[in-house]
Amino acid sequence: MFRILSNSLKTGVLTEADPFGRQASFGFPVMDFSRCTACDDCVRSCPTGAIQTATPHEGWKTISLSYASCIQCRECVAACPEHAISVSTAIEVAAYSREQLARSASFDIDPSTGRVTLAEIGEQAGPSLAESAARLRERIRGQLSRSLHVRQVDAGSCNACELEIAATTNPLYDLERFGIHFVASPRHADVMLVTGPVTRNMEIALKRTYDAAPDPRVVVAVGACGCSGGIFSEGTYAAVGGVDRVVPVDVYIPGCPPRPQAILNGLLVAMGVREARLGTPDDRHAHGVEAARPEGR
Amino acid sequence: MTSVIPTVSAALGVPDSAIHERRQGELSLETDATALPRLADRAVVGLHAKLASLFGSDERQAIGHFLVHHVWSLPGLRTFLHIAAPIDPATPAYPSIAAKYPAANWFEREVMDFFGLVPEGHPNPARVALHDDWPEGAWMLRKDVPDDRVVPRLPGDFHPFRPVTGEGVFQVPVGPVHAGIIEPGHFRFGVAGEPILYLQLRLFYVHKGTEKRFERLPWRHGLFLAESISGDTAVGHALAHAHAIERLADVIVPPRARALRVVLLELERIYNHTADIGAIATDVAFTVPASQAQALREGLVRLQDALFGSRLLRGTIALGGVKHDLPPSGLEALRAHLHAFERQFDDLITVLIDAGTFTDRVDGTGILTNQAARDLGIVGMAARASGVDADWRRDHPHDAYEGLRFEVPVENGGDVRARLMIRAREVEQSLVILRQVLDAMPDSPVIVRLPDQLPGRTSALGWAEAWRGPCTHWVATNERGEIARVKITDPSFLNWPGLVHAVPGNIVPDFPVINKSFNLSYSGNDR
Repeated sequence: MFRILSNSLKTGVLTEADPFGRQASFGFPVMDFSRCTACDDCVRSCPTGAIQTATPHEGWKTISLSYASCIQCRECVAACPEHAISVSTAIEVAAYSREQLARSASFDIDPSTGRVTLAEIGEQAGPSLAESAARLRERIRGQLSRSLHVRQVDAGSCNACELEIAATTNPLYDLERFGIHFVASPRHADVMLVTGPVTRNMEIALKRTYDAAPDPRVVVAVGACGCSGGIFSEGTYAAVGGVDRVVPVDVYIPGCPPRPQAILNGLLVAMGVREARLGTPDDRHAHGVEAARPEGR
Repeated sequence: MTSVIPTVSAALGVPDSAIHERRQGELSLETDATALPRLADRAVVGLHAKLASLFGSDERQAIGHFLVHHVWSLPGLRTFLHIAAPIDPATPAYPSIAAKYPAANWFEREVMDFFGLVPEGHPNPARVALHDDWPEGAWMLRKDVPDDRVVPRLPGDFHPFRPVTGEGVFQVPVGPVHAGIIEPGHFRFGVAGEPILYLQLRLFYVHKGTEKRFERLPWRHGLFLAESISGDTAVGHALAHAHAIERLADVIVPPRARALRVVLLELERIYNHTADIGAIATDVAFTVPASQAQALREGLVRLQDALFGSRLLRGTIALGGVKHDLPPSGLEALRAHLHAFERQFDDLITVLIDAGTFTDRVDGTGILTNQAARDLGIVGMAARASGVDADWRRDHPHDAYEGLRFEVPVENGGDVRARLMIRAREVEQSLVILRQVLDAMPDSPVIVRLPDQLPGRTSALGWAEAWRGPCTHWVATNERGEIARVKITDPSFLNWPGLVHAVPGNIVPDFPVINKSFNLSYSGNDR
């Protein structure tokens, strides 16, 4: 007993005042389309199809990169002969739709020389981050901003996401100080934190868990598999794919697996106290309505 | 080195010429299916063989039939014995060995579920992998079934569990969605008040079609999928897969890469064992050491992030070596961290085993007897906690383990305490191993180039003793050198039946800590 007490006193408080203070050694790849020659080396290097190319018509080509299915393997960074793919160190990456997680560009191809020139950076489809943030806030009407009860559902994960979700409860991140608690029943939950890929064998259980949660139930999809099926792809005999194929998703936290800070950030986005952002160079707008601070600090 | 073939052929009663050593440490034998039980008996009696894996493959296109494979570990001879038997598609059945060797039980039922090959004489030939809403004849691993086939659901969803009858006895259903942050699976307890009469498992909720998915990915991308078989065993499965591909391609991994692979595998062992020790404390509500363990684990994964760019060591193993070298500063940082860790880890264990309130809960709880562990073919850490002395790092050495001095701890209790202590002692040994490796880090490149193409119509076994137990990958190629089949065996698949035997007689509130003491992977089992 004495030993435990003296140990605790010696250890002191391990909790980090600002859990977002640490930089990731590697976040997501960032494409500089102005240097891209559309050679497709990155497309071939990508194991999950996060980088796609299409030729809608002759002389026109598009390349897109989606963080929803990126497993952060860095193969594309190494594969690019133009060094046009760099890495972002942003940790707090989240979005409200799959479209918001994607970047694309179109290229003109000169039919005689085969020379490729950047024509335009693609417009993101659907509502912008700010519009979606306002919509989510409208839906939850401030009901969740002070405390959040979370029901975690593993709908097919490899368990890496679970390891990092569990890590958010450790003494260093201590997500309970933000008023976030993991609860044992969907009936007590405001938020469902779902990992995927949703398997055929978990599809019904996920739907029933969703149905058992009271409104306004916010769904947060975690990880590349939860956002898009990831390395397991979508529509295979055993894996339905991303969580949004089964229940509507409000917040996407990409990554393989996302770091504890990214998960914490995503939950604060679901509470409406932070706004989602990608942390890429073209996403410079302010960070949130108010910086989330632990209660009582 | 003298060949082990004469020893094996004499024990099995087959001519020397029937056994081939195509790759080092891997003997192969083709046989008639009717001989499978006889060969199993002789391998077990004469060679102390242990079942490592059992699976099917669909070779109808190339050679007109299916194959059923038995893979045995022969630890005394430091080799695997791979027995393959052709099965005629017209009569898709083969003799079962599950009645005599329960380790084959789930394996044979899985072959039935995915290939439609019937194990004749199996004591319980029910589905194991396919849930009740899968129609008959959905043999998803057959080659003529595309991986994107949408299989209709059969109506109804009630699984006929074994009934429990008698006064005051009832069933407790738990899952598939569990109360904590854990993977899904269904447990059905038959209880008489608090004491558990029996436990039935229903798994495969997270079956993702991983083995078939390998057949669709380019072989160079397979490692990323291997890392997602069980997220807590990213290094273990990536290594087993890389070993199989490297053996197929006949390349030798350079010495420094082999040493760094040992570093990665041992770090994975240490961070998982530390987290599990904390989780065992959590499940008996002993919060101080639980928090200590979580903090220690976080320190380790942050170190891994700093050194290798990944908290959970993803993307560290490469085909032909490792992705990143560790510079001298990295080696020094690792050494310093482990030095500090060792003292704190000792403190953690002392706090736990000095507390009577803790030992009361773990001593004699969830006993898996040595007899049951042997009969069921339990592997890895759980087996060693029940007095089974087996560790592939010593018995089938891979990477740089051959030249290292370390002990294989064995505990005899078979209870939660034994599974806790085996982890503590293995962490100690991992630190011994890491010190040796760091002190004598060889100088060489860390990766060797693989050929552009894998050889056609061949196969190889890859294995690694990961923190939970042995992981094996059997990889076969088609005539174009593409992946034709990958069979993944996660230690959880062999060990779940052990949990079923450890639980009866205990009370329901002790189930979480018993389950956690095994900490089996649902995803690794279900794939």
